[in-house]
Amino acid sequence: MSTSSKKEAARQRIAEKRAAEAAARAAEQRRRRTVVGGVVAAVVVVVAVVVAVVVQTSRTSTAADAARPGGTSAGGNGYTFSVGTGPVTVDVYEDFQCPNCKAFEDAAGATLEQLQQAGTVTIVYHGMAFLDSSQNDDYSTRALNAAAVVASDAGTAAYQQFHDLLYAHQPDERTGSGLTDDQLIAYAEQAGATGEDVATDIRDLVYGDWVEEATDQASKDGVTGTPTVLVDGTQLSDLSADGLRTAVEDAAA
Amino acid sequence: MQVVRSDLVRPWLATAARLLLGGVLVVAGVLKFPDPAAAVRSVRAYQLLPEPLVAPVAFGLPAVEVVVGLALLAGVAVRAAAVAAAVLMVVFLVGIVSAWARGLQIDCGCFGGGGQVAAGETRYLSETLRDTGLLMVALALARWPHSRLALANRLETPTPMSTTP
Repeated sequence: MSTSSKKEAARQRIAEKRAAEAAARAAEQRRRRTVVGGVVAAVVVVVAVVVAVVVQTSRTSTAADAARPGGTSAGGNGYTFSVGTGPVTVDVYEDFQCPNCKAFEDAAGATLEQLQQAGTVTIVYHGMAFLDSSQNDDYSTRALNAAAVVASDAGTAAYQQFHDLLYAHQPDERTGSGLTDDQLIAYAEQAGATGEDVATDIRDLVYGDWVEEATDQASKDGVTGTPTVLVDGTQLSDLSADGLRTAVEDAAA
Repeated sequence: MQVVRSDLVRPWLATAARLLLGGVLVVAGVLKFPDPAAAVRSVRAYQLLPEPLVAPVAFGLPAVEVVVGLALLAGVAVRAAAVAAAVLMVVFLVGIVSAWARGLQIDCGCFGGGGQVAAGETRYLSETLRDTGLLMVALALARWPHSRLALANRLETPTPMSTTP
């Protein structure tokens, strides 16, 4: 072997060694970048989740000493109003802004009240407010608050009358702007709630926190759509007058 | 020729996948913030989680969606974000399909809302197809994460040894 070729071979070995070292360094750099990146990503995700949970929890928490309406169902959870004394219980979950609830009230509301007046059923009204929008000026909440004010002031018969008035005059869900507070106050008076605080309690959303809790309670009850009607605990699928009457007769039998 | 063309096209397809997946996740996450009470009802409607976990999931999941979505839009940690997006899609699919199988009448709440739906107006099929499609996109992106217009491409220190992957 000649001297020059020996030198050549040595140079090549050195070059290969350097290349291998550089590759190892690059691999180490990549590995470090991956670890750092992974840690940064995990921290970003954890911080985002913690901030979101803290902020949203504070936004949804209601005051422990929030005002509660009087006249709620005896032995109930404080979020329902009962009318009648019949042996069959009909639970009605409704939102005053919900068009399908109006459809149910138009179709079967009179039948339900006849059954209650005949002493067959007890109606338990569960108000919900989940159709608030900026367009309707949070009408769902304002309406349920007003209904609670009416029940508090004048009893559950007045609640029922106010409830019927609101469905009879329900503003359109998509294009309507909700009934105004003045209109709610006028209907409250028509239903018999004439106390001096009625108007201010309606305007000031005195039961605003209670409305939020009532809506949450309905969701805890497993209600995912309105109207949800339960006849002695069984969900009514046929929401016509006949469907309601048949289910009540079956339950009473 | 075939190879050259796919090398040119694939990074742009990955960019499109990033923008689609990231855009959907960011929009879906952001829409759940304005009404936290509705987010809680929406998660509860699936009847899968015990009550103490409902609110944390309802508030935390949108944050994860936004972070993963932003990573995809920006093009950082694309492979990890794509894997995370795929995991999210699997979670959503499990929830939707199980609600469907149990006969629940709910809206998936994917883009906000409280999970309420009028009887007979559930959209389980379209929700399932959409999330399955997004899952496929996420998996493809996890397999081929290299894309154009990615922030990571600029942060990457160019090493003399490296060839374009």
